[in-house]
Amino acid sequence: MELTAVRQALDFGELMREHQAMVFSVLWHFLHDRDLAEELAQDVFLSLHKNLAAIETPAHAGFWLRKVAVQRAIDAARKRSRRPQVSLEEVAEPSVRPMAGDPMLGGMLRRLIATLPEGPRMAMVLRYQEDMDPADIAETMGIPLGTVKSHIQRSLGLLREKLERRGVGER
Amino acid sequence: MDWLEEELKQALARKEPRDGFDARVRARLQHRPPRWLAVAAAIVVTIGAGEAWQQYRGRQAKEQVMTAMRITASQLTRVQVHLKEIEQ
Repeated sequence: MELTAVRQALDFGELMREHQAMVFSVLWHFLHDRDLAEELAQDVFLSLHKNLAAIETPAHAGFWLRKVAVQRAIDAARKRSRRPQVSLEEVAEPSVRPMAGDPMLGGMLRRLIATLPEGPRMAMVLRYQEDMDPADIAETMGIPLGTVKSHIQRSLGLLREKLERRGVGER
Repeated sequence: MDWLEEELKQALARKEPRDGFDARVRARLQHRPPRWLAVAAAIVVTIGAGEAWQQYRGRQAKEQVMTAMRITASQLTRVQVHLKEIEQ
């Protein structure tokens, strides 16, 4: 199929329906602020609408949206000019110890991830939300592959340590 | 993948934004000023800035002329006084 034909086939509404959960979730998991995530997700799609002529294929649109969402999330975090709203030590101790598979553990993990510094936090979001491999994460974030691997390993180690300290472990 | 990584995948699974997300994006698209308006605004600003610059340059030139005339007048007065002194 010729490039122009592919371009004509790109439908903004369809792209929005297909990718809105990805864009919104990257922003929400990274910023831990639902309203801000929604506003920035809208900005990302307005930007896509403006640049639709430069998008070549649906796959290109997905790649482009993810990259712009990552950049907007990092910019917004820098604008807030403070570290995540909760520090690692402030994450509430659950009254009942959650075990693997417990929905309460999911909330606790999201709060713990929100306390990580920018780089490791985004690497973790892309690794476990988007199921991306480290090489793709490095390309999306524009950082070396070694840095991505180190971010993921150190973050996993840190989370494991914090969870163990809270008595959370495998069932 | 160990238990923690499995838990992370579940915890960070994609979530949908609130209902009506696409309608809210479309509403913002409609409230955007049309492109021609942005171009017109840029032209107006450029012309306005050009005129302001010309006016500024004109004012500066006028001030320089006035200063030169004040200096010349002062020099002429001194010459006149000097000539009168010689005549006397």
